[in-house]
Amino acid sequence: MTTVIIKTTTKYLAALILTFGAYIIVHGHLTPGGGFQGGAVFASGLALLIVACEGDVIRERFKKVPLSALESVGALGFLGMATLGFMGYTFFRNVIANSGFPLFGEPTPLGINPGYLNTGGTLPYMNIFVGTKVLAGLTSIILVFYLLLEVRENE
Amino acid sequence: MRRALGLFAFIGFTLFLIAAAMSLRPFGEPVHTEMDHYFITHAQEEASANNVVTSIVFDYRGFDTLGEATVLFTAVAGVLMALRRRGVKV
Amino acid sequence: MNFDELFWTLQVLVAVGLLTSAIAAVRFKNLISAVIAMAVFSLILSLEFYVLQAPDVAIAEAGVGACLTTAMYLLAIKKTAAEEVIE
Repeated sequence: MTTVIIKTTTKYLAALILTFGAYIIVHGHLTPGGGFQGGAVFASGLALLIVACEGDVIRERFKKVPLSALESVGALGFLGMATLGFMGYTFFRNVIANSGFPLFGEPTPLGINPGYLNTGGTLPYMNIFVGTKVLAGLTSIILVFYLLLEVRENE
Repeated sequence: MRRALGLFAFIGFTLFLIAAAMSLRPFGEPVHTEMDHYFITHAQEEASANNVVTSIVFDYRGFDTLGEATVLFTAVAGVLMALRRRGVKV
Repeated sequence: MNFDELFWTLQVLVAVGLLTSAIAAVRFKNLISAVIAMAVFSLILSLEFYVLQAPDVAIAEAGVGACLTTAMYLLAIKKTAAEEVIE
């Protein structure tokens, strides 16, 4: 599947797709999208890279990326941010919102506003954790399919 | 006989779908709107986020997202277990 | 052309495109062509979600349905036969 067309397309498109996925994850509390959508777009860019490169290069590069650990960290972080609500309230309570916490703790002005990144309470944290989890899971599925393909060719 | 029965079922199902589509409410006017009004008016000050959909998904209805995350985790774990190779870590 | 005419024209075009691509995905004998038809189906469906003012669902559909599922199906087809086998 590594033709000249796919390689040239990947060279120009992969960086744009990865940037768009990261933008959707980080701006999840301001613009449409969120953790799951951004993670899916990011995994799409990584799938394009996996399909376009040679097998040896992919195994070299992804040997250093702990995808399973990233998946577990995302799930545990999401649960941990939800458990933060037990500080005086209930499960999934947004305790950081409007509390003056330096990171994502500012109150947002009511009505129509241009959108400020430093608001949202626990929502940006949950977006980032769920995005990490989704991109690690979907990328590992694609990677396992690709590595299995290589095994059959060798045998 | 089977063909006639299939044709009868097809026509009946199509008529049922057309009748259901004719009796739909117009686009953007659901029956119950009390919850929508509450979310639209209070989400910005309670969750301090501009995107009301994200504040519903991660704050008001967080258990739904927890179940979705569990489903995805289980699916990935199942695929990795079924298709693994001995000696290769992913 | 006002908004109403544009909206209904787009609805009819989306319905025709969805039906065409779905029938093509079922009818194609070449499996790679069928997978590409499924990707086109997902892309038109995401356009329909965007027109109905649900951009979240549109992004998810375009990312998962049109890209990741297509990549998975193509990687699986490359391992097996490229033509449909009729017993």
